[in-house]
Amino acid sequence: MTDLTIKIGGAAGFGIMTTGLFLGKIAARSGYEAFEYPEYPSLIRGGHNVVSVRIADGKVFSQEKKTDILICLNEGTYRLHSSELKDGGLAVIDQDKVDPKKLEKPAGNITLLHVPFAKILKDNSLSPVMLNNIALGVLMHLVGADLEILNQLITETFARKNKEIIDKNIQAARFGFEYVQKNFPAGYKTKLSKKASIEKRLFISGNEMIGLGAIAAGCKFYCAYPMTPSSTILHYLAAKSEKSQMVVKHAEDEISVINMALGASWAGVRSMTGTSGGGYALMVEAVSLAGITEMPVVIAMGQRPGPATGMPTWTEQGDLLFILHSGHGEFPKILLAPGDMEETYRLTLEAFNLADIYQTPVFILVDKYLQEGHQSVEEFRIKNLELKINRGKLLSDKDLQNITNYKRYQITDDGISPRALPGMKNVLHQVNSYEHLEDGHTTEEENERTKQVDKRNRKTATFLAKNAKLPVLYGKKEAALTIIAWGSMKGPILQAMQGNEDKFNLLHFTYLWPMPSEPVTKILKDCRKTLLVENNSTGQLGQLLKMVTGIGIDDRLLKYSGRPFYPEEILEKIKETL
Amino acid sequence: MNNNFSGYFPTWCPGCGNFGIWGALKNACQNQKIPPVNLAVVYGVGCSGNMNDFFTANNFHSLHGRSVPTAVGIKIANHKLSVVVIAGDGDCYGEGGNHLIHAARGNHDITVIVHDNRVYGLTTGQVAPTALKGFKSKSTPAGIIEVPLNPIALALTQGATYIAQGFAGEVSHLTGLIEAAIRHEGFSLVNIFQPCVTFNPLTTYDWYRQRVYKLDGENHDPGNFQKAMEKALETEEKLPIGIVYQVEKPTYTDNLPQLQKGVLAEADLTADLEKYIEEFV
Repeated sequence: MTDLTIKIGGAAGFGIMTTGLFLGKIAARSGYEAFEYPEYPSLIRGGHNVVSVRIADGKVFSQEKKTDILICLNEGTYRLHSSELKDGGLAVIDQDKVDPKKLEKPAGNITLLHVPFAKILKDNSLSPVMLNNIALGVLMHLVGADLEILNQLITETFARKNKEIIDKNIQAARFGFEYVQKNFPAGYKTKLSKKASIEKRLFISGNEMIGLGAIAAGCKFYCAYPMTPSSTILHYLAAKSEKSQMVVKHAEDEISVINMALGASWAGVRSMTGTSGGGYALMVEAVSLAGITEMPVVIAMGQRPGPATGMPTWTEQGDLLFILHSGHGEFPKILLAPGDMEETYRLTLEAFNLADIYQTPVFILVDKYLQEGHQSVEEFRIKNLELKINRGKLLSDKDLQNITNYKRYQITDDGISPRALPGMKNVLHQVNSYEHLEDGHTTEEENERTKQVDKRNRKTATFLAKNAKLPVLYGKKEAALTIIAWGSMKGPILQAMQGNEDKFNLLHFTYLWPMPSEPVTKILKDCRKTLLVENNSTGQLGQLLKMVTGIGIDDRLLKYSGRPFYPEEILEKIKETL
Repeated sequence: MNNNFSGYFPTWCPGCGNFGIWGALKNACQNQKIPPVNLAVVYGVGCSGNMNDFFTANNFHSLHGRSVPTAVGIKIANHKLSVVVIAGDGDCYGEGGNHLIHAARGNHDITVIVHDNRVYGLTTGQVAPTALKGFKSKSTPAGIIEVPLNPIALALTQGATYIAQGFAGEVSHLTGLIEAAIRHEGFSLVNIFQPCVTFNPLTTYDWYRQRVYKLDGENHDPGNFQKAMEKALETEEKLPIGIVYQVEKPTYTDNLPQLQKGVLAEADLTADLEKYIEEFV
């Protein structure tokens, strides 16, 4: 069984992130599963960046705390991370940056391998930005991977540059490879030899999955203001906008962003925006507008630690209750929180259908951990996932020929009114931020007000009856302990479960709101002992469940340091609990 | 279907300048023979925004200050629609000032009609960003300290391609300005002097009549940026009305390759996933 964690650290601006991506793709192309998580400060140059890539034969759900191989491209990496090396682990050190004599060797059986990175660069007149390819070359030999895969990746990545750049980068990798071949021929004990039969896998981030899902769902307008950790949705969609024929707009602020999306949605375009907590705070008034005008809109909400600017490049699940209660007044909204890359794709597709069906805002609630982390996913899982586009009660010109006296806010049993668009023949209508009559005209009359509130609220009942999904139980039903969690926590918990299936199972929530009270109450009552695991300081899902079911969770494990959970931390807590 | 744009009878105060603007807008749309189904009007919140119930077209009564971005989104989604914004001075120059700047920069093909009465009517008489310095109101009992915002100069420096100023007391002249604004391809601002008969005892119909003069009779060249700026700076003794500035430039939607084949709202929604996933392998 192969299970290998590699950490690479160095100064920001030297391609550390790319190295992590390459490594993940090399693993996938060699027939393995992989998970990558990057950590970096909110700086462009000079800060300390580190990526952690876990590679295994079977499914990899998350990173782990302990490391097999640590590649130190600066002094800080060794200082900060050498204590994370596993017994029998290996640290690769740039001996020109770190004086071997001054190094404090970590406890346990650790091998230190000195590689003269700076000398290799200098002797071969390579640019310092090629340092990461030397490191990759070193790694390829250490784990016995196929160097040709790396060469191919370099060729693909620099396809638009000239041949000299490609050749230089390939050379850099070869110098690293050959240095280790000569000086440390045995390499590391765990090998990533290319498998005989290889399932085609994508190595992809949560944000890319959101982008891909939006394209597949026929989203034609994405409007955003850059904000970590959601900016890369904007970058991805902008880069594909010619191919996808999606208009991608970087507007002046988040207030403008969401109002533009609502305007485009009114005119009939599937519209989406993406932001993080602070940007979303600016959008809130218009989310309430979407509620009363009954406008479909999809919002990808990427959490990071707050309050205010908080820690921009780190992770947290701190905005669940904020999103749930956001927007003045009472109106239905739908909250979906995917737990892994595949779910992120599927729920993005579904979000567009639900927005059209219920004519209300739908949230894809993610976080930096899921958005910027990468995971391998079998290609067929994405390709074969077909979700038919469903535009709900959207009328056509033909439908309207048979409708006299069209009313945009017609009272209906399911709370959803047929929707016409501006520009359609033979009908004029208005949508209104004021309370309105069925025909859209402003009203303050008490009966009409009550009827419209009831109508909008009935959408919640319709959703609960038709589209709500219950939490999914992972693991053995009879386990003594049930972990309760939502969104991205799925990864570290499932990872912790590997080999510990008898100890606990996981009840994972992706459909967070509206939540059906009765069946969820029954599910919680049936659990023997419960443990809430959340990446926040107040146990927000626990509060939500208490509100919906009246049931409190027995114990909690909360982390709010800006770091995701490591499976090791979850196991430690379980040991304590059982 | 209603084809003459009229809706409910307005609830504005008798004598309100909004009546003149409302009449001019209806005349302009009829003169231009715009079918109401091809007209989308976005309203901000304020006395002016209440026009949504009095004017029949495709109507979106949006939020206070946010009618401009809403209109921009509509235009991108369906660039065949004529898109008009009805906003007030507090709405467009206060709460939504940032949007005005950026919509002008983008030369988005929308017509922004601002009802400028230098006071907040619907919230019962506080100062607007265009209030004259020293104006006393419920929120500024000692007189406003700030100088008035200059909408014409602002729009001019931020890239608007059609800028006009009108007077609610000159309805037929105003009709022509609105017609030209809707016809103009690009960002159009029509700033309209409008007396508030209830909350602004200073800038009355008479006050304006003593000051406004028509640019048409002045041999003003709207294509000349410098001359337009000179006119924009006339804000005290004499107040120019007419087309201050107009140039032809490609609009925002002209620059979007996605719209060259047709309207975005009618685009094919299916995507060939194969074309996108290969880069992740």
